[in-house]
Amino acid sequence: MLFSSITFLFLFLPIVLAVYYLVPDKAKNIVLLLASLFFYAWGEPVYVVLMILSIVLNYFCGQDIKNHEEDPRKAKLSVTFAVVVNLLILGFFKYYGFLIETVNAVLPVDIPYRELPLPVGISFYTFQAISYILDVYRKDARPQKNILYFALYISMFPQLIAGPIVRYSDIEEQLRSRKINIHRIGQGAMYFIIGLAKKVIIANSTGAVFETVADIPAGSLSVLTAWIGVFSYAFQIYFDFSGYSDMAIGLGKMFGFEFRKNFDYPYISRSVTEFWRRWHISLSTWFREYVYIPLGGNRCSVSRNIFNLMVVWALTGMWHGAAWNFIAWGVYYGVILVMEKYIWGVSLEGLPYPVQRIYTGVIVLVGWVFFFSPSLGYSLRYLGAMVGGGSGIADAQGAFLLFGHWLLYLIAVLGSSPFGFRLLHGVIRLFRRGRGRTAAAAVIYIGIFFIAVAFLVTDTFNPFLYFRF
Amino acid sequence: MTSGRPKIAYIMKYVVLALIIAFIVLLMLNMSGSSRPFEDMEKDVESALDTDGLTRQEDSRFKRNFGLTAADYSGVMYYASDASMSADEVLLIRVKSDDQVQEVTAAIEERIAARKNDFEGYAPEEANLLDNAVLSVRGRYIFYAVSADAQQYLEVFGSSL
Repeated sequence: MLFSSITFLFLFLPIVLAVYYLVPDKAKNIVLLLASLFFYAWGEPVYVVLMILSIVLNYFCGQDIKNHEEDPRKAKLSVTFAVVVNLLILGFFKYYGFLIETVNAVLPVDIPYRELPLPVGISFYTFQAISYILDVYRKDARPQKNILYFALYISMFPQLIAGPIVRYSDIEEQLRSRKINIHRIGQGAMYFIIGLAKKVIIANSTGAVFETVADIPAGSLSVLTAWIGVFSYAFQIYFDFSGYSDMAIGLGKMFGFEFRKNFDYPYISRSVTEFWRRWHISLSTWFREYVYIPLGGNRCSVSRNIFNLMVVWALTGMWHGAAWNFIAWGVYYGVILVMEKYIWGVSLEGLPYPVQRIYTGVIVLVGWVFFFSPSLGYSLRYLGAMVGGGSGIADAQGAFLLFGHWLLYLIAVLGSSPFGFRLLHGVIRLFRRGRGRTAAAAVIYIGIFFIAVAFLVTDTFNPFLYFRF
Repeated sequence: MTSGRPKIAYIMKYVVLALIIAFIVLLMLNMSGSSRPFEDMEKDVESALDTDGLTRQEDSRFKRNFGLTAADYSGVMYYASDASMSADEVLLIRVKSDDQVQEVTAAIEERIAARKNDFEGYAPEEANLLDNAVLSVRGRYIFYAVSADAQQYLEVFGSSL
């Protein structure tokens, strides 16, 4: 079930919220767990069994690690078992076809294989499970005794499908008790509406422009059209994913949970290092906490640090998908971050801010070409078109796309910077403090909600981009 | 291990792992698609069709009936009856990515609902065929058939994978 669907907005969510608020506190976790399992089973009636088995496995693994805390060797064996099994399950569903295809391509063999669809959200909930296992092993958190609470941590529907990846230690206390009040519910609703608008108004519209460009062979793209395509994709993926994250955070608030922010206006960054502090923060944090620091982080030799960074970024690329272009995308960022850290980072800081932003923007846009391309060859042809290797500098198609969507791009630029949010709240602040201002905020947000619903009704099926990861 | 409780967790993690493996084996047997090229699958399914009443349709007809664009997928084979009083049709699609599965199944379900609406009342036997329509998703292959022989076609599809 999509957050941006009529069924979710007008049936599932109101019913779940009503039941959740009506039942006593003791029953709230159970209501939310049942709703989450139903939500997942709606789209994945078979794979919900896999998720439940994964929950039970990790629950017992957590208990087993705790039981061996007096014996470090056995505890280490236990945690290794849990992490390896989780990674094997994820690897089987996500990478086994890719692995066989690679073998078939490299060796003179043609091994047939059986394909299984990727279970939605498996990359996210597996990473959450590993977070729990490692937090328990490192004694950053106590093992959860109540399997229903643990199941809720793994399967909570607001962030089950596409994150943010919530660290167990961050949410441990909230699973036991949390406060729900009208202020938090209102704040949650505002987050949710903004997220919905980001997705259905901006992401889907810029996505449609990108699809138009992507349908043209890369060799036939003018420079203008190629750049419009990559800008459109950059806006689509930002508003799509950050919109989903906003909706998840908003829903979390409505149920009394506080999730950390997943995006912090990444497109205003003045370096690639800063960009990755602002983009998909929960994934970067996960890799930093559970891979980069255990490998030695930066408290080691330069060569070891470079190795650590490259490992983390190759894994980040692989996490996004089983394809060479994702690995290339990860390695590309690994190399850039190493360069910023050891070669040009200091010089970059001395440049004027606009130059720093242009530098970051170009690197990020080139990165998106690797990301959206179906193959490495296509990405190279597309990059060629961006520098004039396609079909001239500008063409009628590019001009039509640019002038036909200027307002959309203006909204996208404003919306991807803090200025857009300040502008919205500046309008609300024009009203007198107190009830007038509250009423104005309510009218504006309800207005945005109905505009988003109007887009939704006329739109075709548009799943979130990060569902496929 | 110090008491009975540790043993439970220790044993249970292996029991659940065994259940996960068994579940994956079942999935592979009953839900998996295959890496066979679309052309080979198409040939196998096509050879089993009763083509007296069914005609291979153009991409434009596929677009009109399902609202989907054939070029978006790795392969599309669409047969339908030219007779307006017949609900018979057979569709085989290989999607390019997993996230296309839901859009295709949603389009097929909409098509079934719309056709039932058309036939109910004046052609109950056709509406009955639509009630018994088969829709199977195996990996990236999607098969849909409305026909008196739908089950037989489904078996051919399954064995072709």
